Amino acid sequence: MTRTVLDIDKLAVTGPDGQALVADLSLTVSAGEVVGLVGESGSGKTLTVRAVAGLLSDGLVASGTIRVDGENLAELPEQHARAVRARRLGMVFQTPRAHLNPLRTIGDFMIEALVAVGGEKPAAAESRAAELLAEVGIADPERRLRQRPSELSGGLLQRVMIAATLAMDPPLLLADEITTALDVTTQEEVMAVLADLRRSRGLAMLFITHDLALAGAVCDRIAVMQGGRIVETLQAETMRADAQHPYTQRLLSATLPPDLMQGEPATEPVLVVDGLRKTYSVRSASGGHREEFVAVDEVGFTLAPGGSLGIVGESGSGKSTTARIICGLERADSGIILVKGEDWTRVPRSTTGWRRRARIAQMVFQDPYQSLDRRQTARQCLREAISVHRPRESRPALDARVDELLEAVLLTPDLADRRPRSLSGGQRQRVAIARALAAEPEILVLDEAVSALDVTTQVEILTLLDRIRRETGVALLMISHDLSAVRRVCDHVVVMRGGRIEESGPIAEVLDRPRADYTRLLLASVPHEGWVPQRRIPTRTAALPTIATSNLPILDPQGER
Amino acid sequence: MSVGQIAAGRVPAISRRAAKRDPLLVAALVTLCAIALVVIAGPLISAFDPNQLYAGPISGGPSLTHPLGTDDLGRDILARVIAGGPASVIGPLVVVALSTTLGSTVALLSAWFGGWVDGILTRVIEVIFAIPGLVLAVLAVSMFGKGLVAPVIALSIAYLPVVSRLVRAGARAELGKPYMAALRIQGVSSTAILFRHLIPALLPTILAQGALGFGYAMLDLAAISFLGLGAPPPSSDWGVMIASGQPSLLNGAPEQSLFPALLVVLTVLSVNIVGARVTVWAEAKSS
Amino acid sequence: MGARTVRRLLSKIGALLLTLFLSSVVIFSAVLLTPGDPVVALAGGVRPTPEMIDAIREQYQLDQPVWVQYLSWVGSVLTGDLGTSFVYKTEVIDLIAPRFGITFLLVIYTLVLIVVFGVGSGILAAVRRGRVEQAVLVGTSLGVAMPTFVVAIVLIWIFGRVLGWFPVYGPGEGLLDNLYHLTLPAVSLAVLYIAYISRITRGAVVAQLSSEHVETARVRGIPPSRIFRRHVFLNASPQLLSVAGTTIASLFAVAAIAEHAFGLGGIGVLLTEAAARKDLPVVQTLSLMLVALFVVLNAMVDVVIAIIDPDSARPRRDA
Repeated sequence: MTRTVLDIDKLAVTGPDGQALVADLSLTVSAGEVVGLVGESGSGKTLTVRAVAGLLSDGLVASGTIRVDGENLAELPEQHARAVRARRLGMVFQTPRAHLNPLRTIGDFMIEALVAVGGEKPAAAESRAAELLAEVGIADPERRLRQRPSELSGGLLQRVMIAATLAMDPPLLLADEITTALDVTTQEEVMAVLADLRRSRGLAMLFITHDLALAGAVCDRIAVMQGGRIVETLQAETMRADAQHPYTQRLLSATLPPDLMQGEPATEPVLVVDGLRKTYSVRSASGGHREEFVAVDEVGFTLAPGGSLGIVGESGSGKSTTARIICGLERADSGIILVKGEDWTRVPRSTTGWRRRARIAQMVFQDPYQSLDRRQTARQCLREAISVHRPRESRPALDARVDELLEAVLLTPDLADRRPRSLSGGQRQRVAIARALAAEPEILVLDEAVSALDVTTQVEILTLLDRIRRETGVALLMISHDLSAVRRVCDHVVVMRGGRIEESGPIAEVLDRPRADYTRLLLASVPHEGWVPQRRIPTRTAALPTIATSNLPILDPQGER
Repeated sequence: MSVGQIAAGRVPAISRRAAKRDPLLVAALVTLCAIALVVIAGPLISAFDPNQLYAGPISGGPSLTHPLGTDDLGRDILARVIAGGPASVIGPLVVVALSTTLGSTVALLSAWFGGWVDGILTRVIEVIFAIPGLVLAVLAVSMFGKGLVAPVIALSIAYLPVVSRLVRAGARAELGKPYMAALRIQGVSSTAILFRHLIPALLPTILAQGALGFGYAMLDLAAISFLGLGAPPPSSDWGVMIASGQPSLLNGAPEQSLFPALLVVLTVLSVNIVGARVTVWAEAKSS
Repeated sequence: MGARTVRRLLSKIGALLLTLFLSSVVIFSAVLLTPGDPVVALAGGVRPTPEMIDAIREQYQLDQPVWVQYLSWVGSVLTGDLGTSFVYKTEVIDLIAPRFGITFLLVIYTLVLIVVFGVGSGILAAVRRGRVEQAVLVGTSLGVAMPTFVVAIVLIWIFGRVLGWFPVYGPGEGLLDNLYHLTLPAVSLAVLYIAYISRITRGAVVAQLSSEHVETARVRGIPPSRIFRRHVFLNASPQLLSVAGTTIASLFAVAAIAEHAFGLGGIGVLLTEAAARKDLPVVQTLSLMLVALFVVLNAMVDVVIAIIDPDSARPRRDA
């Protein structure tokens, strides 16, 4: 019997109004074991790990026992508990950039705990810090120690965080959604680093994630959480066969590969993109002078009427910029966009121009809470979208159409008078889809339309979109970083990287018999059964230039920038 | 949804909840109403002519005939406080109205058009920001002579930067949100986006700033009167009264200065409390 | 500081100099905007004699085009020739020089009070939640409604009439006596700013305390005092510094109120007296000096912030 490094017994976390956020939670992690804690947002998994780390915010109260390496944290005086946590566990978070002090160098960050907690001499601490960075596969650690977080990519920062937790040589690592904010290939790199550490150091891990497939690929045991409770604990290897609880089964089915779509017969394409190029002027990372950042480079593809095309790529691949250019939110430097034979390359200058386009192409954004006006009810929002195109329509006729749209996205009429705040994420996105359908468009551009949603909701929305396409014949242009989402809905796919197209073709051909190395890499990075994460040279080590496309003013009357 | 609908739907709900939970806010609102009432209806109830000399004893303490006492010229302080009300309250109101509308307009133009329009307007705002409000008011007085009209206009300009920076930042944040792009793509007209979406989204912020601005304006204008740059005698506001009562302080008759000072503080305090609550409400609305 | 930071800083300081230039134009144009003959405006509250008219025309080059007038005005201010006040009938420099010391001392005294009590109480409120925080919040709510002139008359009444611990009139003789005399004026100036700075400090510190990078430091077991110094206060300081320039510049203007109330013959009293007597040249010169002070202080603040946070020196970043 191996040593137990974390023993949680009957943990409960209650909120300020006495509501139970986590209840009756018992969990153990043995030395060298990786235990997954899986659940959707609000399931209490993050609160659980924060209770272990002593990071519950004011107003939340934890009860029950938490033993780290045999020491009951609840019984220890605060200072002693802090020392135990500092030495016996490390924690890595979802957003490494926010969790590092932006004003201090990586070196300061690494050395601080070694000096303040470990009592090492600064010079010794510095060489130890460099060793730790090298251990997590960071090349040129001395240079990195002098850099600030703003100069490093997210994947690299996450490695820095991991390296920092190793400073006190803890037996246990708490990993809270540590790869959620990362691209798949970067996720694979980070997971490979953790797998190595597990082998070399016998590091145990409590691995929190919403992604059951990822958990299944990297964990030994998986605890599935729902509504603050563990509903089921499974052996990762046999979880598909063993899963009993309906919630687990729903999560599992949400991540199963879908059946493939049939290709559409070739017709005159509704959308032709050719030679698209967009550059931004950014301040270079090294010097003060401006340099060109090529966001989209010679991109071309076609979309058949009623067809569905996925554009897949990681952050910085230019997929979202391409979508925004097609919808008129950005101006291309060069290239052609033809929609039904009409030139759409220029940004519309007048409301009439926008309206004419609106009847052909509509867009659904990533975060429905941000893409809906928070002051409007669903009905007001849809009414506005309809009346743009039918200005003379009477109120009852408008409302009838609103009801139709709500029905089309499977929303019950009683939700019509709610504002976004009181709708769930999936319901919000349905309202956004209904709004896009109000114009009866021929193309629906989906910009990461499901990636902010819980997995089970993702499946619902994707199924809905697929149904809408079949019923209305609207063509889908789906921008996504998620290969399985694209596979579920699209018949054709374009793989982008660094602004360029790596590969394109029918979905089955590209995803099952990839020709480009990058596509192969992407596919291999997706967690699946029997997955062994590979350590590769990071694709990107510097932070992307901040051109934050969503923050550019969109209402430029000149149409120029 | 119109502005009126927001106001009609939300404010009663808020005040009902407020009465239970937020006695401070209720106290502030009651104080403001009382002050407004005294300022408006005061001349009808006060028994003395504010400028009548020797209506009572010189620097007399509070009594039944003179509830707030009499000043160094024997004038009834209550009557003078009431008479000074309009001049003390209307000035700040004008400053807030002018600076808020102008500042918001500049900010909206800046955020909406961006580019060189934004560049020029931002530069203008920076220049105004570099000149302290009191200095601008003093400059105006030396150009146009004593009186509150020039300082009121000067302060309206001096307050532009605060309003405009806040509203510009808010407008840019709002315009950068995907729902604005979504409205564009739907073909919703610019006018509709501006009046139905952007301005209502910023209104809570603007209102909150307006309330805080009133407090600052009241203090600044009273300070200008206190410095003797305001309206010439015999007409007088609270600032002038505070200054003119200063010699009596050392003679043991603080009423002449203290009562108008108390009124200034109470008004500003109440307005600030209301403003702070509106700010919290605005932040809750925009998050 | 890297080359990038220096370049960004230079462009920021360039923008500040542009602001200084533009505001000098605004201040200069006060003469043109004043109703009536510019000669009369420059003569101030007095009716100009024919000799004065000639002297004013000569000094301000009123026969030349407007831009020449502006250049000669700026040129003489820059060379230290502040011109003549026709109201006071002396050189402007002789008006300002003897009054500057007392105002400077008053502002420094006030600043010390603001930093000690404003920043101090702000930190205290952020760190000690509960009763201390409530007390500071109530105090600052009252404080921001306490203008200088109200605090001044209350202090004059209490100390002049009732207690008598501190003098309530005049600047005193010698530095120590000066400071003794300036205590009440400095307190009356400081109250509102203490409240204001305390709130900003509390806000900035609370934001850092609940930030994610502080959370990281906590989970790594860094001692709280060290977290406060190296992560909380350091990261909150740019926000505090960014209001420092404006605060100090406006203190020089607002000092007028305390000087007026406590009978101190400083710059502020000169400014308001000159305004009351419509002595435009004196008001213009003092205004320009205050704007220049604002620009210089803000440039210094930008440099300090850039040292703390090199990324801050980006030309423009919205909140």
